[in-house]
Amino acid sequence: MSRLHFFLYKRSIFLFFYVVLFALSGEISANKGLEIAELSDKNNEGYIDSSSSMVMQLINKKGDIVERKLSFKRLEVPEDGDKSIAIFESPRDVKGVAILSYAHKVDSDDQWLYLPALKRVKRIASKNKSGPFLGSEFSFEDFSFQEVEKYEYKFIGEEACLNLTCYLIERRPLDPYSGYTKQLVWIDKDNYLVQKIHHYDRKSFHLKTQTFEEYKLYEGFFWQPHKVMMMNHQNGKSSVLKFQDVKLNNGFTDKDFSQNSLRRSR
Amino acid sequence: MSQIKTLLVFIIFSAPLMGEVIGEFSFDNRYFFNEGAQGQKQNHSSFSISPEIFFEEDKRIFHFKPKLRKDNEDPERNLVDVQELYLLEILEDREIKYGISKEFWGVTETSHRVDIINQTDSSESFDGEDKLGQPMVKISFERDWGLLDIYALIGFRERTFVGQNGRLRLPIVTDTDNPSYASSAKTARIDFAMRWANYFDNFEIAVSHFSGTSREPRFLPSPKKLNQIAPHYEVIDQSSIEMQYFLGSLALKGEIISRSGQGDRFSAATYGFEYTQVGILDSRLDLGWVVEANHDDRLKSSPAVLGTRLIMNDISDTQILSGFIYDERSEEIGFLLEATRRLGDCCLVSVEGMYFDDINEDNNEKKLFSPFKEDDFLRMEFIYYFGD
Repeated sequence: MSRLHFFLYKRSIFLFFYVVLFALSGEISANKGLEIAELSDKNNEGYIDSSSSMVMQLINKKGDIVERKLSFKRLEVPEDGDKSIAIFESPRDVKGVAILSYAHKVDSDDQWLYLPALKRVKRIASKNKSGPFLGSEFSFEDFSFQEVEKYEYKFIGEEACLNLTCYLIERRPLDPYSGYTKQLVWIDKDNYLVQKIHHYDRKSFHLKTQTFEEYKLYEGFFWQPHKVMMMNHQNGKSSVLKFQDVKLNNGFTDKDFSQNSLRRSR
Repeated sequence: MSQIKTLLVFIIFSAPLMGEVIGEFSFDNRYFFNEGAQGQKQNHSSFSISPEIFFEEDKRIFHFKPKLRKDNEDPERNLVDVQELYLLEILEDREIKYGISKEFWGVTETSHRVDIINQTDSSESFDGEDKLGQPMVKISFERDWGLLDIYALIGFRERTFVGQNGRLRLPIVTDTDNPSYASSAKTARIDFAMRWANYFDNFEIAVSHFSGTSREPRFLPSPKKLNQIAPHYEVIDQSSIEMQYFLGSLALKGEIISRSGQGDRFSAATYGFEYTQVGILDSRLDLGWVVEANHDDRLKSSPAVLGTRLIMNDISDTQILSGFIYDERSEEIGFLLEATRRLGDCCLVSVEGMYFDDINEDNNEKKLFSPFKEDDFLRMEFIYYFGD
């Protein structure tokens, strides 16, 4: 059985298991929020590796748009968080700057920054994740992988979301360095895809709304949103992230995500 | 200038064959508040151009990046340098780099003790951050036990120094035309270096050794020019350790070297911490702090540096950097303030000010900044990025 088929097989067993579990547990389950989150997370499992290019649009109150370009590579690490490299293409003064991240399920992530002008790889204290990413409304935290283990969940109910029906769950980050106190997450009932997140800041103010659009299915099991929007309600600015040229199974290995590989980026 | 023309012609004609050509053009103007201690002018400007070709295919990378600089006052600041001209081959179990390149070693922010592969372009800036390209063959092995780089450094580059008309210089002029070498091979000596680096959770470590011609010269009276000093490059052995430990938002860092070959064996170290406050006062602003102490067996004093970096996290990536250096022994201070921001998608502008002060003139210890006491300046740099 190929690795891909194995994951598909595993996925369907999980789905079956959860369907049975749901049927038995009835309406209210203390763990229902977690179960939905786990099912949703399965959509990100088994992809092995992916590459894509990203365009990030920063939109101010008046509607002026500034664009940033990045290329992005990701490697799945079974039993732990994923490894990724983001390389900046534009604006020009940061061209070649790269960020290597090793996400971990429970521990905080490891991150290294490569500065091509200095030829320097610099480890960054990854606790600093609530800050804005590239001047956008996304924070480093929004950009990193949202491992299920990093939150505590509560099931709230079901709600219509656009033309779908969604589960609404509340999650609270366990990491004390998170910029958020809680997040409301809308996950659709059909495919368990995250459709919308309300982010509440440290003062429990509804600071940002994130929406996920243009989901496409790859290899029959991997769902990738192609447009992610983040609206900041405090400053009226928003950021849009568009994914292009998404490709799975590039044959990446750990060596493509090492500190040494960072130094190759320019 | 003929070298410059040749290089430019080469770049222009080779560009379409090589893939994308990008680069930067920078204009730099320094205004000094006083006439120089040796009568140098108050306004100094220079421009530099640095095109770049980067070509990547499956397991090979080619990189070419020359740099040309022209100064209106100080001919010693004129530069033609190849910063990068290498082929990197990525093989199954190792990586080999052939050609000219820059390699950075080290972890601290205010001083780079361990960094030794490349010669310092000290005429560009007095901070020692600018380097010249170094010809090399480098083999890298990356395994479970860490990253091992082994270098054969082919040939030696002389350090650049500010000239007679230049500023932020010592009272005595450096004669760069008559350097001397301990090695009979002079600049043709092949030097060796290696570095092992690894990390264990929040702890990072690197151990390295360099054996070859010292990048940092000592000075002898010039054999040809009266009242000038000439660099003397000895053969040294330098072993070093870099360490850093991360504790939440705090990074503890240190690097130490031990060098033999320039008189008695000596050690030098830089150590301190870096701390970042994210979202100060509930804003988008980040504030980073760096505190580092410097020790050098050759000097009596150990100046300490406090640096801050205010990051605005705006669309223009505005940053304000400050550096405050204090020498307890001589009771002198130096203060630097630098602001940079992006202009549109094409350009970057930075404004920098530097101020030196002697707090206690009655202090008779050796003064570190006294040669620069007339050299407080304001600098403006404008960078235009060309190509796509």
